Amino acid sequence: MAANTGILRRPLAPVGIWAWMTTVDHKRIAVLYGVTAFFFFLLGGMEALVMRVQLASAESTLVSAATFNAMFTMHGTTMVFMVVMPAGAAFFNFLVPLMIGARDVAFPRLNAFSYWLFLFGALFMNFSFFMNAFPDIGWFGYAPLTSNEFTISNATDYWVLGLLVMGVGTTAAGFNFVVTILNMRAPGMTLMRMPVFVWMTLIVAFLIIFAFPPLTIALAFLTFDRFFDTNFFVDIGAGSDPLLWQHLFWIFGHPEVYILILPAMGIVSDVLPTFTRKPLFGYSMIVFAGVVIAFLGFGVWAHHMFTTGLGPWANAAFSATTMAIAVPTGVKIFNWLATLYGGSITFKTPMLFALGFISMFMLGGLSGIMHAVTAVDSQQQDTYFIVAHFHYVLFGGAIFGINSGIYYWFPKITGKMLSEPLGKVHFWLMLIGFNLTFMPMHILGVIGMPRRIYTYAEDMGFEFLNQIVSAGAFIIALSVIIFIINVVRSVRQGEPAGDNPWEAATLEWSISSPPHHYNFAVVPTVRSQYPLWDENANVVLPPALPAHDEPVMPDPSYWPIVVAFSITMVAGGLIIWQGHAIAGLTVIASMGLLGMRAIYGWVLEPMEDEAHVSVHH
Amino acid sequence: MARFLKLRTPILTVALMALLLAVLSACASPQNTFDPKSDATDSILTIYILVTVVASVVGFAVLAAMVWLIIKFRAKPGVPAKQIHGNTKLEIAWTIAPIFILLIIGIPTMYWIAGTAEDPAPNVLEVEATGHQWWFEFTYPGMGLDGGDLITANELVIPVGRDIRVTLYSDDVVHSFWVPQLVGKTDMIPGRTNVLQTFNAYEPGLYYGQCAEFCGTAHALMRFRVNVKTSADFSTWADAHNAGPAAPEPGTAAARGSLGFATCSGCHAISGTAAQGRIGPDLSLFGERSTIAAGILDNTDANLKAWIGDVRSIKPIPEGARFMPTFNDGTLDEGQIADIAAYLNSLTAE
Repeated sequence: MAANTGILRRPLAPVGIWAWMTTVDHKRIAVLYGVTAFFFFLLGGMEALVMRVQLASAESTLVSAATFNAMFTMHGTTMVFMVVMPAGAAFFNFLVPLMIGARDVAFPRLNAFSYWLFLFGALFMNFSFFMNAFPDIGWFGYAPLTSNEFTISNATDYWVLGLLVMGVGTTAAGFNFVVTILNMRAPGMTLMRMPVFVWMTLIVAFLIIFAFPPLTIALAFLTFDRFFDTNFFVDIGAGSDPLLWQHLFWIFGHPEVYILILPAMGIVSDVLPTFTRKPLFGYSMIVFAGVVIAFLGFGVWAHHMFTTGLGPWANAAFSATTMAIAVPTGVKIFNWLATLYGGSITFKTPMLFALGFISMFMLGGLSGIMHAVTAVDSQQQDTYFIVAHFHYVLFGGAIFGINSGIYYWFPKITGKMLSEPLGKVHFWLMLIGFNLTFMPMHILGVIGMPRRIYTYAEDMGFEFLNQIVSAGAFIIALSVIIFIINVVRSVRQGEPAGDNPWEAATLEWSISSPPHHYNFAVVPTVRSQYPLWDENANVVLPPALPAHDEPVMPDPSYWPIVVAFSITMVAGGLIIWQGHAIAGLTVIASMGLLGMRAIYGWVLEPMEDEAHVSVHH
Repeated sequence: MARFLKLRTPILTVALMALLLAVLSACASPQNTFDPKSDATDSILTIYILVTVVASVVGFAVLAAMVWLIIKFRAKPGVPAKQIHGNTKLEIAWTIAPIFILLIIGIPTMYWIAGTAEDPAPNVLEVEATGHQWWFEFTYPGMGLDGGDLITANELVIPVGRDIRVTLYSDDVVHSFWVPQLVGKTDMIPGRTNVLQTFNAYEPGLYYGQCAEFCGTAHALMRFRVNVKTSADFSTWADAHNAGPAAPEPGTAAARGSLGFATCSGCHAISGTAAQGRIGPDLSLFGERSTIAAGILDNTDANLKAWIGDVRSIKPIPEGARFMPTFNDGTLDEGQIADIAAYLNSLTAE
C-alpha cells in the first residue's frame, strides 16, 4: 500500500535533483529560496547597470526608450518580489525552526508549495523577455497605462499574472510562519524569549496576510480588465477610477516596505549581541517598536499619493502618520546604538554589514521624513531624491542586513566559514559603491531630475552627477563579484565552522553545522533569552542520534511542485487564449484538472511514507 | 575626538549644510528646486531648508555617536562587555525626544498645507492644463474670441506678478504637471479634476517644466516651457493669438505653406484660420514658441522640418499609439515640408 495515492513512486532518496524538487525540509527550501533570490539579484543588478550605462551621458541613444522603461520596470519588480522578499523567506525558513527549537515549520508541504509558486511566477514573468514583450509599465503599474488601450503587447499580462502567482505562494508562507511561531516553540521558549529575528518574522508574516489581499484584488481587477473587458480602471465615462488602483497598490505597497525591511532589522538585532558580547539593549522595546511600525504601516499609504490631489485634510493626516513612524524607528536605532555601549566589539564581516545597515538605513529614514512634509514632497515626488531615499532603505537597509545575515549564518548553513579578508573587501567596496551611487541621487532630485526618464537634455546640468552614480554602480557590481568568489572558495575549501564559530547565544548554534535533517536530537527546554550564554539555562544537547533512533520527519512529496506548476500553467493558458482560443482553453482545462488531481493527491497522501515509517516501528 | 564630535557636530553640520545649500542654489540646472522663482516654490524652499537642516543635524549626530561608540568600545583584552539589558528612563527619553523634533517640522508642514487651501487673489488667472501622451495642452477659459477658450500647447504663457491657478486634466493616462522653479507637482489623472497650488511668478523668463509621472514610452520627452511675460506683453500675445495671422505675402514659402497646412488641419488648429483640428497641439503663434515637440528641441527651421518629416526619428512613439503620422514617406516632399515649416514660423505676434 506504499505511496498509494501517487501516480509516480514517492521519491525518498536523500540526494539528487528529485530530492530537491520534492523536498519539504525547511533547510533545503531555505537554500532554494536563497539561491533563487541571488540569481534574480544578479539579473536585477544587470538591469540596473543597463540603466546606469544609458544615463551616464546626456542624450544617450545606447538603448531605446522602450528597453530602458522595461529595465526599470523589471529592476523594481525583480528586486522587490524576487530578491528581497525571497531572501527574507530564505532566512525565515532556515532560522525560525532552529531558533524556536522545532524540527520543521508547521506545514512543510505548504512551505514547498510557496517556494515553487514563487519560482514559477518569477520565471513566468521573466519569460516575457523571450516573447519580446518585456513589461514596461513601472513596478507600480499605474492604471490606466496598464490597460489594453495603452499597452498593446501582452507584456503587462505576464507582469500581472506573474505577480498573482507569486502572491498566492507568499500569502501561504505568511500563514505558515504565523502558525509555526505561535505553535511550534520548544518548551520554555516564551514569546519574550524568542530571538528578535523570530519576532520580526512573526510580524512580517502578519503583514503579508493583511497586505497581500489588497494587491491580489488590484491584480485580479486588472486581469479582468485586460482579459475579459471589465471596467475597473479603463473607461472613465462608464464609472471606473484609475486612482482606485493607486489606493489598492499602496495599501499593499507601504506595508510591503516593512515586509522587506523588518527581516533585516531582525538579523541585525541578533548579530549585534554576538559581536558586542552583551545582550541586546531594550529587547522588549525593539520588539514593541516592530509591532508599532507594522500597525502604523497600514495607515500611511497615501504619502505615496500626496501629489494626486487628495486634498489638504488627507494630506495633513497622512503626513502626520508618516512622521509618527519615525518614532518607533528611532527607538530601534537608539537601542541598537545603546547595545554598542559598554560592549566588547569585534569587527567581523557580519558586524560590519550590521553597522552599515544601521547607518545607511538611518539616512534613508531621515530622507523619508523629508518627504513626509507634503510641501517638500511636491518637489521631490517622482524625482531622483525618491530613488535615493528608497535605495538607502532597501539597499542600505535590507540588502546590507541580508548580507550581514549571510556572513553570520553561512557557517551554520554550510558548515564552512566564509573568508574574513574577502568579506571585508566585499563590505567596503559595497559601502563605497553604494554611497557613490545613491548619495548624488539626492542632489539630482533637488536639481530637478525626474525618475524613470530614459534620457535628459545636455543643458539640464545632470550629466556630471549621473556619471558619478554610474561609476558607483559598477563598484557595487565589483563587490558582488568578490562575494561570489568568497562563496565559491568557501564551499570548495572553506574552514570547517564547528557548531558555534561566533560563540553566539541562540538555539541554532547549539546543534551541528550544517544541522541534521531533524534539527534537534532532543527538543530542548529553554530557560533564557540567551540560552547558550546563560550558564544556568545552558542547553546541552546529545550529539547525532543513531539512525534507528532518528525522529520521523515528513517525507518528500512531489504534489506541491505539481500544484504550483498547474497554477502557473493556467496563467500561461490565459495568455495563449488571447491569441488562440482553443489552444488556450485546452491548456487551462488540462492544467486545471491536473491541479485538482494534485490537490487530492496532496490531501490524501500521508505525511510520512508507510514504507519509511515501518522502519522505525 | 569624542568631545569634539559631541560638541561640534551640530555647528559643523550647519556649516556643511550652508555650504551645500550655496552649492545647490548655484547649480545651473533650469529645474533646480533650490532656485525658486515664485511665491509658491519660495514657501516650499523655506520648509525644505528647515527639514534638510533638521534631518542632517540628526543624521550627523547619530552617525558621530555610532563612530564614537564603535571606537570607544572596540574589543580590548581583559575588558569584558557590560551586561546591560536596558534602561527604562532612556527608552522614555528617546521615545519622546523625536516627537519634539518632529513637531519642529510638522507644525510648518500643517501651516503650509492650510495655506494651499486658501483662496487666490480676485484677479487670479485661471488656466486649464490637459496632459496627452506626450504633450501638454493649455486652455484659458473666457480669453478667446467672443468669450470662448484661448488654446495653446507646450508653452504656457502667463503674466508676471499675478496669481495663476491651473486646473489639471488628462486625456489618456496619468501625467504630472511640474515646473520646479515655479510650482511643485500635481498629477493629471483621467476622470479627475485636480488644482495646482496657486503661484505667482517673480520675474519674466522662460521656465522648464516636465511630466513627472511615468506615462508610457516617450515619458522622458514630455516636457514644456512656461513663458512668464510682463502684463503688457501677455495682453499683446493674447490679442495676437485671437486676431489670427495676417495673410502671408503671395508667392512666399509661407504662403505656399499656408495652403499646404490643409494636410495638417484635421488635427491642428491655428486661431483665426480654417484650421481647427483639436486632436494634436494648437499651433497658433507657433513662431513665438522657443521649443518644438513638447519642449525637447529648439524651435529652429531645421528641427521643425525634421519633426514634420518624421516624428518617430525624434520621439519614440510605440506601434499603434495615437500620434502624428510620418510625412517624409512620400506623403509630402521636402519642399512642401519646408513650406509648412516656413508658414508655422511666420505665425508671430508682430
